[in-house]
Amino acid sequence: MSALESADPLHFSESRPLTLGVELELQLFNTRDCDLTPVASDLIDLIERQSHAGDVKPEITQSMLEISTGIHDRHDALLAELQSVRDTVVAAADRLNVLVSGGGAHPFQHWSERRIFDKPRFHQVSALYGYLAKQFTVFGQHIHVGCANGDDALYLLHAMSRYVPHFIALAASSPYLQGVDTAFDSSRYNAILAFPLSGRAPFVLRWDEFRTYFERLRALGVVESIKDLYWDIRPKPEFGTIEIRVCDTPLKVETAAALAIYAQALARRILAERPPVTEDVYLPYGYNRFHACRFGLDGELIDPMTRTRRPIAEDIGATLDTLGADPSAPESEPAFAVLRRMIGGAGNDAYWMRSTYQIGRSLPDLVFRQAERWRGRG
Amino acid sequence: MDTLFFLPSWPPQVGSLTMAALVLLAALVAGEIVQRIFKLPRLIGWVIAGAIYGPSATGLLDAEALHDLQFVMHVAAGLVLFEFGQRIDLGWLRRNPWLAGTSVLEATLAFVAVFLILLLLRVSPPVAAFAAAIAMATSPATVMTLARDLRASGQVTQRVELLTALDCAYAFITIGVLLAWFHAEYHGDWVVMAAHPLYLIFGSSILALLAAAIARPLLMRLDAYGDVQRVCAFALVLIAVALGEWLNLSSALVLLGFGASLRALDDRRRFVSLDFGPLGQIFLVLLFALSAAALDLSIALAGAITGIALVAARYAGKYVGVVLTSRVSGLSTRKGSLVALGLMPMSAVALVFVHETVTVFPELARGLLSVLVPALVVLEMAGPLLARFAFVRAGESAAWA
Repeated sequence: MSALESADPLHFSESRPLTLGVELELQLFNTRDCDLTPVASDLIDLIERQSHAGDVKPEITQSMLEISTGIHDRHDALLAELQSVRDTVVAAADRLNVLVSGGGAHPFQHWSERRIFDKPRFHQVSALYGYLAKQFTVFGQHIHVGCANGDDALYLLHAMSRYVPHFIALAASSPYLQGVDTAFDSSRYNAILAFPLSGRAPFVLRWDEFRTYFERLRALGVVESIKDLYWDIRPKPEFGTIEIRVCDTPLKVETAAALAIYAQALARRILAERPPVTEDVYLPYGYNRFHACRFGLDGELIDPMTRTRRPIAEDIGATLDTLGADPSAPESEPAFAVLRRMIGGAGNDAYWMRSTYQIGRSLPDLVFRQAERWRGRG
Repeated sequence: MDTLFFLPSWPPQVGSLTMAALVLLAALVAGEIVQRIFKLPRLIGWVIAGAIYGPSATGLLDAEALHDLQFVMHVAAGLVLFEFGQRIDLGWLRRNPWLAGTSVLEATLAFVAVFLILLLLRVSPPVAAFAAAIAMATSPATVMTLARDLRASGQVTQRVELLTALDCAYAFITIGVLLAWFHAEYHGDWVVMAAHPLYLIFGSSILALLAAAIARPLLMRLDAYGDVQRVCAFALVLIAVALGEWLNLSSALVLLGFGASLRALDDRRRFVSLDFGPLGQIFLVLLFALSAAALDLSIALAGAITGIALVAARYAGKYVGVVLTSRVSGLSTRKGSLVALGLMPMSAVALVFVHETVTVFPELARGLLSVLVPALVVLEMAGPLLARFAFVRAGESAAWA
């Protein structure tokens, strides 16, 4: 590969198909009133004093921390790394009297109080988006799935879009926002939809066509880099992956790992069976996505190909049954078991949050319990 | 006879409540002027307005009026200490024992440094010890007001708040212990010497625990009603202050302990954001203004050198204590030095409490005031500026970001 090619930001780097990487955006709050607290740089300072698994980075605000894993193929190794980096973060946070948790949005933070992290790109984002940038203190899980080439990546991206409601519903963990129950299981997703370049990718299946599309956007001055696209699933040519971005950060790393393995298993089957994909896959897309955000696992999903409709939980169950039969990945079974428990009555994290709120009837108390759950208790 | 009976009498009779309202108004206006025109923290305006009203300046507030308004200061200080007590997080000290180390070290070093410098300046040992005990404490009212105005939140703010709360506790406990020494020194009565500090410390702790045990179930049942809970807490603080005074206990310890115990008992985090809102603000402004009015500014000029020496020694002690332990307690040295600056505020509020004690020993009063007042005058102005600098430099202020 020539130096020229690798300097080209739109060159799709080859990566081993079906490898996984996970990024989780975490919330940081003080123990006094459980509101978000701008402590990311102090926390990173402390964490970086010793070597540790995973990677820890600042995000757009000081009250957000991003952790990410290396590249994995197997559930056990992925989960072990997530648990290890979680433990590192929690140990450091304990020393600073900071609580850490998952969850798609802080239940009662007021966006105007958030401080934007001191880094030039973040200041640009903040200047451009105004109140949206601060309202964008929402916390998501991003799943990277490795692809052999750009054409495969685009095909997988569009074929995978049918399952976007699954990911939204399983990961939903932002029922409360600005102190109220939003009635949505994932309110975070609505905040993201406010951005001009959010939503779905254009229906383009060949990488050179995608390049042309992107170059035209760039020529118009709409975007500068792939980073400006806030799509539900976007290609990440630099890593050679597609990145699924619709998940709220789950309240436990076990759920995060299970979601990643689910994405891997879906991708494995799609790439093996190569079902035909047409733009029709997007006909019910907005409807399905809304249902997943609003009603979570109880929402309704319309299958664009078979034209059937059924509850999302049922659709996930049927999908898991077919995936579970795959003999090539028996080690993924524990991850599927996590998801089966959720659709079998345990519910998603939004459901857990609503039931937990009933115990204390105080949102700070809920936040505290979320942090306990993140630690692996409760 | 007085045929013009329907006309107002002259000069007008100004009751203490009206006087308080006038002070409040002047302080609020001064606060806004200072903040908008000079970009200084509002509370500096409150202090200046109070000082102008005081006997040392215009005398609009004379000694008698100040005496009548003393209860306002006690209530206000009680509210602040109660809120601060809620910030004592014993769990944090357990998870990060080095922080407890920081706290003990900086308070001890500040005490020792101030005590030694005062001895060098030929201040009598009892006065030097008493002044050093007071110098250990950072003004909770100042830290609280600044943190709220700046909407500051983060490691530096949180550590300054915790250390301030602990410093206050150390200061009042030390004062209790020192009382024993003074009893021996002045009265030579050994029974009193042993019993008085014990009564003060244990009595205050027990009252604090009782208050929290009563307040908890009451406040929990009111949680759905918002302001009702807040006003109820206000009433409970008033009662705790009154009980503390009636029992001759240390009101400061009672209220700090009340807040801390209430937090420790609040396993469901229902009072996490319990503050007194605009009601608390009224008392806070009056606290700064009235305590400043009570400062005898003529003493300040006479003892300027002592005052500056005390301030420098206190800073040196706190700086060394905090910075030495900042890395091991998980904070960069740079932020550690900001924490030390954040601990600088000291305010005349300290005298509100000392006053009760000093009246027991009139022999001490004059010496103590001549040492403390100059330092207080310096720090009423410099303390808030240094602490604000620390919070802003740490990037923890939302208002100035």
